Amino acid sequence: MSRRATWHLLVPGIIVGAITAVALVVPLLPLPDPIRMDIPARLLPPSVGHLLGQDEYGRDVLSRILWGARTSLVVAFVAAAAAAIVGTCLGLFGGYFRGLVELLTVRTAEAILCFPPLLLALLVVTLLGPGAGTLITVLAFLYAPGFARISFAETLMVRALDYVTAQEALGARPERIVIRTILPNVAPALLVQFSLTVASAIVLESGLSFLGLGVVPPAPSWGLMIRGARSTMEQAPWLLLWPCLALTGTVIALNMLCDRLRDVLDPRAQGRQSSWLARGAARILPSVAGSTQKPSLLRVEGLTIEITTPSGARFRPVRDIALTVAPGETLAMVGESGSGKTLTALALLGLLPPAARIIGGTALFTGRDGRVRDLNLLAEPELRQLRGDEIAMVFQDPGNSLNPVHRIYHQLAETIRAHRPANRSAVAVQAIGLLREVGLPDAERRAYAFPHELSGGQLQRVMIAMAIANGPRLLIADEPTTALDVTIQAQILDLLAALKVRSQGMGLIFVTHNLAVVAEIAQRVCVMYAGQIVEEGPVSEVFARPRHPYTAALIASVPEGGSGRLVAIPGTVPLPGALARGCCFAPRCPRSGPECTADLPVLERISSGRATRCIKWRELA
Amino acid sequence: MSAPLVRAEKLSRSFRLRQGLFAGKAEMMAVCDVDLAIDRGEAIGVVGESGCGKTTLGRMLLRLLAPTSGRVMFDGQNLDDLGRLDLRRLRRRMQMIFQDPFASLDPRRPVGRQIADGILIHNLADRSDIVDRVAELLKLVGLDPSHASRLPHEFSGGQRQRIAIARALATRPDFVVADEPVSSLDVSVQAQVLNLLADLRAEFGLALLFISHDLHVVRHICERVVVMYLGCIVEEGKAADVFRGPAHPYTRALIAATPSIRPQARRNKIVLSGELPSAIKRPSGCVFRTRCAYATTTCSETVPTLSRFGEGRTVACLRAAEIAANK
Amino acid sequence: MLYYVVRRVGVAVGLVWFVATFVFLAIHLVPGDPAELLLSQGGVAPDPAAVTDLRERLGLDQPLLHQYAAYLTALVRGDLGTSLLDDHPVASEIALRLPRTLELIGTAALLALAVGLPAGTFAALRAGTASDRALSALAGIALSIPVFVLGTVAILVFAQKLRWVPAGGYVQFGRDPLQHLLVLAMPASTIAVGLAAIVFRMTRSSLLEVLGRDHVRAARARGIAPARIIMHHVVRNALTPVVTVLSLHLGSLLGGTVLVEYVFNWPGLSGYLVRAVELRDYPEVTGIVLVISILFVLLNLLVDLLYAVLDPRVRHA
Repeated sequence: MSRRATWHLLVPGIIVGAITAVALVVPLLPLPDPIRMDIPARLLPPSVGHLLGQDEYGRDVLSRILWGARTSLVVAFVAAAAAAIVGTCLGLFGGYFRGLVELLTVRTAEAILCFPPLLLALLVVTLLGPGAGTLITVLAFLYAPGFARISFAETLMVRALDYVTAQEALGARPERIVIRTILPNVAPALLVQFSLTVASAIVLESGLSFLGLGVVPPAPSWGLMIRGARSTMEQAPWLLLWPCLALTGTVIALNMLCDRLRDVLDPRAQGRQSSWLARGAARILPSVAGSTQKPSLLRVEGLTIEITTPSGARFRPVRDIALTVAPGETLAMVGESGSGKTLTALALLGLLPPAARIIGGTALFTGRDGRVRDLNLLAEPELRQLRGDEIAMVFQDPGNSLNPVHRIYHQLAETIRAHRPANRSAVAVQAIGLLREVGLPDAERRAYAFPHELSGGQLQRVMIAMAIANGPRLLIADEPTTALDVTIQAQILDLLAALKVRSQGMGLIFVTHNLAVVAEIAQRVCVMYAGQIVEEGPVSEVFARPRHPYTAALIASVPEGGSGRLVAIPGTVPLPGALARGCCFAPRCPRSGPECTADLPVLERISSGRATRCIKWRELA
Repeated sequence: MSAPLVRAEKLSRSFRLRQGLFAGKAEMMAVCDVDLAIDRGEAIGVVGESGCGKTTLGRMLLRLLAPTSGRVMFDGQNLDDLGRLDLRRLRRRMQMIFQDPFASLDPRRPVGRQIADGILIHNLADRSDIVDRVAELLKLVGLDPSHASRLPHEFSGGQRQRIAIARALATRPDFVVADEPVSSLDVSVQAQVLNLLADLRAEFGLALLFISHDLHVVRHICERVVVMYLGCIVEEGKAADVFRGPAHPYTRALIAATPSIRPQARRNKIVLSGELPSAIKRPSGCVFRTRCAYATTTCSETVPTLSRFGEGRTVACLRAAEIAANK
Repeated sequence: MLYYVVRRVGVAVGLVWFVATFVFLAIHLVPGDPAELLLSQGGVAPDPAAVTDLRERLGLDQPLLHQYAAYLTALVRGDLGTSLLDDHPVASEIALRLPRTLELIGTAALLALAVGLPAGTFAALRAGTASDRALSALAGIALSIPVFVLGTVAILVFAQKLRWVPAGGYVQFGRDPLQHLLVLAMPASTIAVGLAAIVFRMTRSSLLEVLGRDHVRAARARGIAPARIIMHHVVRNALTPVVTVLSLHLGSLLGGTVLVEYVFNWPGLSGYLVRAVELRDYPEVTGIVLVISILFVLLNLLVDLLYAVLDPRVRHA
């Protein structure tokens, strides 16, 4: 838990703790009797013996506030605790055993939730009359279903996780599984619910007391105090102030505590404004000495990305990337997790998440009109014109890349119309044509389906159709087949190859972690490790004669071709914040020596079209 | 030859799905009439794509899921005949390793305790010896024993998978089902875990059911392989034989579709057309016929059964011999 | 879709039946003789003759199933019994007052949506900035003020001290529209404050969540204009959780009207309920509780159907 989160939690926690402490020690404090009336002294302003004045019956206001805290908190805590115990048990067992148990416990609880709480409370009060005891029972009964519902939903979710199945596989008894494994993992949500319930119970109790149907006078309760102060609002408006403040303040503190608890236990990004929503100006970046080679489709040099974490720390997951794509060429970017390949691909199109930004490097792109522009320097509106038109991207999970509430046709038509104004029928013809071109069976009918009605392979075809709709010069595919079955992957790879042939000189950047796929479809490859390119060159050469120990180790660890032990690379990929000096692969490299850790090796061109970042590359020959 | 350790006979599992107000309930066959035998110490790979039923099969063998028909015999005992208590006791001898290293460990308990769970449940050691046993197991899988008190999130994916292996081995099982244990791992880490599994198998003589969609991994670690499609076994045999000369059209397509890092390994591609048919509306006759280049009308009328195709091999294809002859 | 609708309506009907049965059973589930309980005040044992009388009036001397059957048949006919105090039918009183409560809830909901939705959208699009933090803090406080506290303080400030609006004095819309609206303003706004805060929060968090989703990034990658992305791909998807949370809070909304009507003397159904509870007029109380609960079930049904319109995955499930 970060320091900021702890601090955030501490502030409301202390306030709530203080209120609770006051409520507990109230009998021990030297306070005037809260019930003792003193009619002649009614409505007197603050004085020495009565710090907050006296109410309409002459009773000490401060004393009644503090005692009222006790009443409200006791009622609320006891009711919430009772509700929590009963509700949690119901939900846990209903969620684990399902079937009849679920019906009897959780479904009944949900039915009770049909009643607006206050009304149910009033119904019972009609019968039993007001009073703290009745109140606690009613409140417990009212809030138990809420706990049952939450613990049921959480139990269902946790139960499906592998570690619960593992306990079953180990032979643990069901009771043991429920109590030892499921309950601790459900507890955080219940804790949040508990604090919510206490807050709600305090409000409900005060409301009932305000109506005269809760705690019975002369017992002190904030709700009763507000009721009394209301009747003397004309003469003594300040009497209203104290109980209102006390009640509101307590509820605010409890709600804040609940919010902070939620943040700690279920941390979601607090949200940062994305760059495309803010109106940013064009960026000025430090220029990198360009090479004198002729412009290719895409030439990237020195690309570096920096990420700022919520706690303010900064690190660079991608450093000094250099790559080129010629027209009609397929370049594969291969690397394991943490290599930065996806971030690099996103950076080219300016689609980095809000916390990341490009801090250096050039990305020269040759457009259809022959103009060469640096993608890193373009402002958002200009980049947007390129996206989907001259540079297109296909993502990994096709199911998530489409909007589930709109039909396929509309999303495809939207893409076409975003770049070229066209009339309806022309768009329709083009759209169906595209879907046929990517091999979607029964294209006319399928076009009007929703995304969830298509399979993964079909969805990826649709994504590819959208990407090539405007005849892009460069297509970036980020692990497009990783989520697909092998036979479907073969179909999609075939499709991509065919589309490339049909287009005039479209370049393809294919990001993947699978070396075999690289061998199948790419002409050139660049290997990435821990945010840097460690080797680059034609695929057949790099795989046959790797010039970097990491590439060699990667090839040797692929379980293809025969038996024997696989060569495993010891250790793990270093975290971006904890990189060693010098070569980042050195700690795991079988050939590393002191010269490797002295300085960061540069990407050295060792022949035309090949580069490596290993200073010992000759030893690998 | 001694009796197999695990035997599945005509194992089937179907799920009832609601189809709509008037269409009534539909039945989805996840596993269809599977026969399987696993000997002591043998490693069998089960390969297939999504929807082939391999995970369901694995869970049925461990009785984590009850079959709709058929039976599973473990060491001669019919799992149906066992009461709940006896079944739980038998679980000591059969364990499972899961695919997702992040979901298979309880995020709130130290890893040492989780490894010790099996030992405690089955009373395999005194309380005083547990710490030593856990340390032993951690060393066995290549981890530092002093890390036993750490929580799962402090370990990497590969390390978590090793912890899962340690947990599975804690009860000294005879049979382990590994459900895609390396699919979520990076290639270099995958190699570490595969080596570990191979070593442990050799040391403890474990029988292993290795479920995977990755043909190369299965070929590397398993002696025999079973190929599944839409709930049925289409081919079975020695891994080397099946990969060198696949008999069933689906196996051939699967091998051809699997990308290879070595260019010479690429033969003429067979790109399978079409998609997996719906599991609810299973094709009549041979389930693969809708995508098979060799399908004839007989294929839609008769359901092919697994028949001998050579030494220790079976294929479920009516035209297997024909196709092999014409290759 | 049809299947979904039929199923949901079926569930709603079942719930209505459950609600009616529960209300019927409430009096019998409570320990002790119901008639005695109703007549006892402050621990003093009631007059036995009065008890017998009441039992007869409420039909408590009949066998349980008899009572239940009579209750259900009367319900279907629209007969909710007669008041214990002035003998007139409960249903007519409810019919008179229910529209006023609905007017109050409706106005409050509209106000809350009118304020909460734009504010939530604004805050989400400027997440992390000072204006977002300020709005969120404000919403947090608005959520926490109990509705009767806000109402009482509002009367003190706006009616008594500033004299901007009258403190009470309901007038029918037909007779004096302006006065009617002025009187409606305060109670509706009081309810709207808390509700707007909830709508704000939900809109903001839902929008933020959708903004981070893959399909939004993919839409950007296709070069779609930001305005169109927000309208078609963000707001549209973000509506469903807002609708859900609204339905969850309907319960407290319906309960909240009790307190607000009481504080502002708004002559609606809920305020009447309080009086009935004070006077322990059991038929009146059960009648009102029943009607409001059924209203609640129907509102939830409406929300479920709206859900299906917004999200095609729900329709096809």
